Formats: sequence, C-alpha cells, structure tokens
Amino acid sequence: MIPPEDAARKPLPAPDADTAMFWRGLREGHLLLQHCTDCDHVQYYQQAVCRGCGGEALTHRPASGHGTVHSFSVVHRAPGPAFKADVPYAVLLVELEEGPRMISTYTGGQPDDVTFGMKVTLALEYVTDEVVLPRFRKA
Amino acid sequence: MSGTLRGKVAVIGIGMSPVGKVPGRSPLWLAADAARKAVADAGIRKREIDGVLSSHAFASPFHRFSVAFSEYFGIQPTFSNTLQVSGATASTMFNIGAAAIHGGLAKVVLVVAADSLMTGLTPDLALRSLTESRDQQYEMPFGIPVANTFAMTAHRHMKEFGTTPEQLAEVAVVQRRHASRTPGAQQTTPITVDDVLNSGMVTTPYHKLDCSLISDGGAAFILTSAENARAIGIEAPVYILGGGECYTHEHIFLMPSLTTTGAVESSRKAYAMAGYGPADMNVAGVYDCFTGTVIMMLEDLGFCPKGEGGRFVDDGHMTYGGRIPSNTHGGLLSFAHSGMPGSLFHFHEVIAQLRGGCGERQVTNAELGLVHSLGAGFATNATTILGTENTL
Repeated sequence: MIPPEDAARKPLPAPDADTAMFWRGLREGHLLLQHCTDCDHVQYYQQAVCRGCGGEALTHRPASGHGTVHSFSVVHRAPGPAFKADVPYAVLLVELEEGPRMISTYTGGQPDDVTFGMKVTLALEYVTDEVVLPRFRKA
Repeated sequence: MSGTLRGKVAVIGIGMSPVGKVPGRSPLWLAADAARKAVADAGIRKREIDGVLSSHAFASPFHRFSVAFSEYFGIQPTFSNTLQVSGATASTMFNIGAAAIHGGLAKVVLVVAADSLMTGLTPDLALRSLTESRDQQYEMPFGIPVANTFAMTAHRHMKEFGTTPEQLAEVAVVQRRHASRTPGAQQTTPITVDDVLNSGMVTTPYHKLDCSLISDGGAAFILTSAENARAIGIEAPVYILGGGECYTHEHIFLMPSLTTTGAVESSRKAYAMAGYGPADMNVAGVYDCFTGTVIMMLEDLGFCPKGEGGRFVDDGHMTYGGRIPSNTHGGLLSFAHSGMPGSLFHFHEVIAQLRGGCGERQVTNAELGLVHSLGAGFATNATTILGTENTL
C-alpha cells in the first residue's frame, strides 16, 4: 500500500547504471541517443547492449531534437493525485528524426492544439537540480 | 497436431465469487470462495488438487499469492506459481496449467485469481497502482497511466482507419446490453452511444464509459487430463484445444505498430494448435479494458480485416446473430474488472457457453470458443481456444 503523501508526489526518474549517461546528458542540455557502430541501430532508451545486434559498440550522440507526433492522448482525469493540477495535458508519442520513438508531454501551448504528424521540437524542463525532463513544443 | 496439448486437458469445474462491490472480503477470501464453487462444480475433493496457478493481487499483502492461497484454502500442492504478465495472465494460467498437466507436472490444477480493486484500495491508489506498472524513468515521470497507452493505440487506429468515437461507444453499448442479462453483473443499466460520448473525457479518445470498471471479485477453474475427466465421470468437459502467446515490447514507445498487436501471432499459434480458424469460432471472450481495444482485437484475432473493426461492431457482428458473439457476460466494461483476474470472467463465460448453460444469454450451438487476454498497453498477449467433445 502506498502512503497518501507518496501518492501526491510526482514520480521522478531514478537513473541506474544503464541510464545514468542519458540523464546526465539532459542536465547538460542534450537528448542522447545510442548509436551502434557495428549495425547502425539507433536506440532509445539507453542500455548497455544494442537491441539490434547484441553488441556493445554503442556511442551516445545528441539527437537533433526534432520529431513528429506519431500519436497522442490528452489526459483529463489524472493518474493519481500527483498529476491533478496538470490536467488537461497531452501525452505525446514522438517519433524522433533519427527514428526512435519516445513518450513525452506537450508544453508551450494548449493540449487541444496537438495533431497527428505535428512537427515538434525538444523543450527541456528543469524539474530539480538532478532531473531535467525532455518535453516537446510545437516546432 | 501430434505432441501438443490439444484436447489432452479438460476444464471440469468453474466457480466465481460475488463481483462488483464486495466490501469486507479480502482477495484471498474471494479466491477461496470461487475455488470452493469450482471444486463443488467438478464434484471432486479439494485434496485432489495438486497444482495451483494464480496471479498477483494488488489488494493483497502476499507476494506469492498462489502459495498464500494454498495455505488459506488448506491444501499443499506440488506444483504452483504466481504469474504476472498483466492482463494476459488469465490466459497464460490456462496455457501453463494445461502444459503442466500434459507434461506430467500435475494431475489436477486449480487456476484461481481474485482482487479487491474497488473496496480494497482507495480510487486514487487503485489508479496509482496502475501508473506504477509503467516504466519509472521513461514513462511515469510524464504522468502516463496505463489507460493512456491504450488510448494512444486507439487514437492512432482512428487516424489510420477512420474509426469513429461512435463506433468505440457502440462496443460499450453492446456489452452493457449483454450484462443486463447476466446475473450479478456490476453495471446493468442500458446505455446509448450518446451516454458514452457524454460521460466525460478520461484520456482522448476515451470517455468514462469507454473505460472498463474497477471491481472486486475472482474466479476459479479445475483443470485435469481428458483421461482423468472421463475416468471420474465428468459429463460434459470443455477441452483446451490451443494456446498461444506473444510479447512484442515492454515500453509503449517500442511497440512495433500501434494498430497491429501481438494478438495476431498469439492467436495464429493458438488456431494452428487447435486446427481451427477464426471463422470456426462460435463465441469469444475478447479482452476489453477499453472499447477501442475490442475493435483492434476483433481485427487481430482474425474476425474481420484490419481497419474494419469499427464497422464490424456497428454492423452487429460482436453480438447475437452476428459473426462472433463476444463478451456475452458484459466483459470488463460492464460485468466486472478486478485487475489481473478480470479476464478469468471471460473464461467463465465462454466455458459456460460451451456447456450450454447460459439460459437467455446462450449462444446457439456454441461448440468452439476463444478467449484472448492482454495487458500493459498490448505488451502482453495470450490466446486460448476451447471446445466441446464434438470438436476434438
């Protein structure tokens, strides 16, 4: 059972050995993707092995930050108390220019403005000293 | 197909606890109540059970629910596990239970699950328990409930195939009509398409009535070998003819296609083992956490071509007189949805239909049935095909 005071707190990412570089990248202003130098697979999210070939020849490169909205859903009923103040907000499934998709939220406009195929660009949200969230605004 | 479990395992007992709002009863009590009824239905004694399969219960403090259940129920099985592949768990319990019997690990397997999502958790904590199931780093910080992952698939389906909000709503309307004839169903008041569209937006394109219920309740089943079923004189056993599963991703952003799911492969495998195809099925239990989920599954399970699910439902094909009467008990949308046990109610209904004991709900000449369970934003898919003696 989750104590009510914890339920009201927004969940923040807790980086692990596979993902620490990703969250550090965001603190430094970059959305990092992993590029496999063996098979050219580009991956999000970060892990120690390539999901394409199983190799470990992965390098981190900043994404351009450009993408399109592959799908979205505007949340009107918050998933728990932590997000109640934010509704309505648009959850985006962004397809990055480099290929991978990622989950994010829309910022800098009304959620009803979001459309399929809309071009979006990275907008970093500085949540705490440790955590920067990659969000997206209209390009 | 030789060597598989096709027709080797029978369901000889079914049972269900009260469902909906059942205050003051723990998940273990609900599970034991269902199990007691399944044992009585099979006409066996509980000590004959040597295998127990279950799923985790959110409202139970026990991490090994199947083990805690056995103690509570007063049995000491020699085969047991608590399975967790979200909503698909129900079907996997049948598949694995049948495999265990066919493979000699157990003789009589009790499949049992229950949860108290309605009265055992506060509404916010119940919802929170669902967000907790999403990834802590790449999904949860963005406030994405599991509902949202399903919503994005349906939304994309609407964009690609022109599926309409009215077609989604029709699924809820049909299933409510079905539930009105099911004793004990949680929601039985008739609804219209307009009622669904005016029920308040939860997460686009889903309104409140496009979403399944939050319930208490559980169900239980007794499985044994076809040989043993005959030996103990079971009159009309229902046989497990085929099973298949498919796990395509964990994160919604790695789902290969938002509109074609792992149900294509899980059902293909189940049909192949059973030696039957979608056109042969007489009745179906189609996982229905949301209305759009049903439309996508009717396509992926092969009942209609990709993209035509909305029209298929509109044309009356998921109800009596149509191509495949589905969720004739009302489903998760109107009968009950107690989390991982939810899809066991589909099994209960399809098996009851194949036994021919559904009264005014009875689908005529029901000999072959399919149950498809899924979960976690289509990450998990499992299909089971069941049939009467005539279909062996």
